[in-house]
Amino acid sequence: MRRSVRGIAVVACALFAFVFMGAEKAKPAAKPAAEPIRAKIGVISIITGQGAAYGEAITNGIKLARDEVNAKGEVLVDLKIEDSSGKQEQALAAAQKLINSEQVVAIIGPTLSNEMMVAGPEANASGVPIMGTSTTAKGITQIGKYVFRNALPESQAIPASIGKAVKKHNIRKVALLYGNDDVFTKSGFDTMKEVSGKLKLNILTIETFQKGQADYKAQLTKIASLKPDAVFCSALYNEGGVILAQARKMGLKVPFVGGNGFNSPKVIEIAKDAAEGLTVATPWFGESNDPKVKGFVAKYEKAYGKKPDQFAAQAYDAFHIMANALKAAGIADRAKLRDSLAATKNFQGVLGKFSFDAERDVVMSPIVLIVKGGKFTIFN
Amino acid sequence: MEWLNPYHLQVASFMLINAILGVSIFITLSTGQLSLGNAGFMSIGAYAAALLSTQHQVPIPVGILAGSLLAGAVGILVGIPSLRLSGVYLAIATLGFGEVLRAVLINWESLTGGAVGVAAIPQMGRVILSMARDGGFSPESIGLRNNQFISLSVFLVLLLCTLLSAAFFLRLSRTRVGRAYTAIKLDESAAEAAGIPVTYYKVLAFSQGALLSGFAGALFAHTTSFVSPGDFTYHRAVEILVFAVFGGSEHLLGPVFGAAFLTLLPEALRAISEYRYILYGILLVLMMVFRPQGVIDPALLRRFRRSPKETAA
Amino acid sequence: MFLEQLINGVTLGSIYAIVALGYTLVFGVLDIINMAHGEIFMFGAFVGMLIVSKAGAPLPVAFLGAVVVTAAMGLLLERFALRPLRGRPGASHLASLISTIGVSILLENIAHKIFGSGNHLFETSFAEIRFEVGPVTIYLVQVVILLISLLLMTGLALWLARTRAGKALRATAENLETAGLLGVDTNRMITATVVIASAMGGVAGVLVGMAFNYINNQIGLSMGLKGLAIIIFGGMGSVYGAMAGGLILGLSETFVVAYGSSGYRDAIAFVAIIVILLIKPQGLFGQAHAEARR
Repeated sequence: MRRSVRGIAVVACALFAFVFMGAEKAKPAAKPAAEPIRAKIGVISIITGQGAAYGEAITNGIKLARDEVNAKGEVLVDLKIEDSSGKQEQALAAAQKLINSEQVVAIIGPTLSNEMMVAGPEANASGVPIMGTSTTAKGITQIGKYVFRNALPESQAIPASIGKAVKKHNIRKVALLYGNDDVFTKSGFDTMKEVSGKLKLNILTIETFQKGQADYKAQLTKIASLKPDAVFCSALYNEGGVILAQARKMGLKVPFVGGNGFNSPKVIEIAKDAAEGLTVATPWFGESNDPKVKGFVAKYEKAYGKKPDQFAAQAYDAFHIMANALKAAGIADRAKLRDSLAATKNFQGVLGKFSFDAERDVVMSPIVLIVKGGKFTIFN
Repeated sequence: MEWLNPYHLQVASFMLINAILGVSIFITLSTGQLSLGNAGFMSIGAYAAALLSTQHQVPIPVGILAGSLLAGAVGILVGIPSLRLSGVYLAIATLGFGEVLRAVLINWESLTGGAVGVAAIPQMGRVILSMARDGGFSPESIGLRNNQFISLSVFLVLLLCTLLSAAFFLRLSRTRVGRAYTAIKLDESAAEAAGIPVTYYKVLAFSQGALLSGFAGALFAHTTSFVSPGDFTYHRAVEILVFAVFGGSEHLLGPVFGAAFLTLLPEALRAISEYRYILYGILLVLMMVFRPQGVIDPALLRRFRRSPKETAA
Repeated sequence: MFLEQLINGVTLGSIYAIVALGYTLVFGVLDIINMAHGEIFMFGAFVGMLIVSKAGAPLPVAFLGAVVVTAAMGLLLERFALRPLRGRPGASHLASLISTIGVSILLENIAHKIFGSGNHLFETSFAEIRFEVGPVTIYLVQVVILLISLLLMTGLALWLARTRAGKALRATAENLETAGLLGVDTNRMITATVVIASAMGGVAGVLVGMAFNYINNQIGLSMGLKGLAIIIFGGMGSVYGAMAGGLILGLSETFVVAYGSSGYRDAIAFVAIIVILLIKPQGLFGQAHAEARR
């Protein structure tokens, strides 16, 4: 027995050694407010793994905004970007690293709602403002008073698109289709069901699918046989595009209505002609004539060689909201920044007019878009 | 106490949880059975502990105990019929078990919340802190900030749990039970002929592994304060397997080392975390080809003990 | 609706069957579950996609390309992940299981690096050919898939039973050493088996692309797991078992969606294997001695 104890002790010591080897001296969190305000802001994003495409758009948007803000010179921001791989444990470790090793004044991210459920409480307990730019599930900002988001939840997007589509196409009978293994699509579906109830629509069937599925024919054949007036589909663009293509191919021609998750130029890229008539609601409309949007799109295209999507736009606005709040606070202090963030009202960004409500959640009005002639256009 | 960094403690905490998972697959492997269901058993422990503490206000230790026992009990239920299977059949059947379980977690929304998962699970460090405050103790009195105290207490609890589990099973391997496991692994028919109740010991090992996975899952739930079905996929099962294969499946310290090392590696070298799974894949093949017994085997440990200056760190 | 769902189910089932045939061939000869088969199949689909959608070449070229690439992958797999483990004293079957799991993870993530995680369009004009039979629309692809799976099944069964090479293969399967002593080049037989099985995976990959029009890097894992479930259900090493199991699974998945709840669709395969293992561990068509194998 003694030997084994010794063995364990050796391993434990080795573990300790690993743990403390990298411990660096913590720096003071805030500096007194001399002009300009210098601040270190952390970003948790998906750089690697399955969701890396979202993370790339988000960090691109943030970097673009950082360059603009730093060029102005009132606020000088040092970004610290950490990868979460889309995993809770890594998001938590990244949050700990940013809060304690890097001593950041605030965090933007993480990308997924699941990750926020883990990183949010930690930041909140440590008194670090944290703002999700793409975390749309229910209960995110209810984690605590340091948790914010500027991502429009599906619960606000979907009623808008469904409302308009129902009026225009005189929809009475609907079929619901959603991804049941994803937080985003699941909470979108919950809203669809609720809204359908409110509008007294007749729900013919509720079908589900799983992430990465290749074959949706069984579900779609069933839906087609019930002859609905429309299909309400809560999906991300990757699955959504395939669903549209397979539905149109088998002759299911009724309108498809989705939420913010469906809103990506990629849907059209994947589904081609089959995307025609898809109706979505979103705060982000890249073809808008708003000079702010035009300027952002042009800059983004120049910097990264592709058009920004909603993830890039939300992250871009999030950084500007953060920078404005820093300026208002006048000092890079976590608690003061939180208060001035919470006071953000009528911020004019590329996503339109933005405010936080009393629960630090999003107040903005989505616009409804429909795919026509191979691109998103305003629904009317 | 400024050097006590919650980030490092956090990484260490995950190393410890993974070490327990490594031990859990080691126990079933030590009877020659390969179970790919450990991610599933982990989810049972995690969800049981999470739901008990969030919906029924059960104290954390009781929830963890209940979660582990439930996982162990399911382990017996799965283990008995699985004994008719061996080798690859068992591996595939347990893999199937894990997938079915995940489908249940996703679909049984009224209980599990579906894909949304269970949030706001009491985090043990924060609970310990509030208990300490109620008892009139403040972390500042020993020079610790709140978040340092929280992370430190999580780490210490997990360290204790890991040491206890490792010590228990290390001791077990020197008893009658452990010798029976080894005999079964070497040659099942010979063990049977020698009068060892093979069925009994195989079920025992299987459910011990399940119990320990559930234990790790329950600790995981109270460390991250959130669980969802996405945490317990096929990839988690493979990751647990990699801990044992890389570290070594002939001595208990093997998977413990494998888990600790492979959890630390991507954290220490964040640049390569992109290639983590590619690395895992190559590692599995290379280990099977060149060192099927894993990095740590009894021979290495003997050499390690003989050397006089063994005090690491 | 019944007829349409029947067609959907048979199409899905035939694809499952072809994937499962690849597993069953390797298992029948080597007693090894090739966990990387699903990923090889996925690479077949991607190669087909590149040839058809990106290069615009005709379909036969896609099949040829997919078969060549997947056969080469099979060769590499055998050479580097299976052969070194063979004949080593005390090497259990778990060793090859684990090393092929390694290859599968490796391939899945390489595909992710190359192709990303999104869906890729698999565009062929062939996939648009359809005809109306009464109230239902049947696509030519669906018929072709069923025919190819039946063809592969009977071809494989005949080849194993009737030809010299097939006999050598079965001898190898029966006993490696004895077959070697009797003059069978066992290394060559085993390599041939893995290569043929992988090439069949390549064919299945192109068929999936034609049937569903989209592929992504996760189809390897999902189809692979289904294929595994099927060979356990149908009986390890049984060619007819793989075919029957595939069709049964495809049909039951489709009809669970049609007349039940789609939420548990993916769990059916695994519930089926757990049930069959409890009732008849050797599977539907398996021989009794399979139980004793380890």
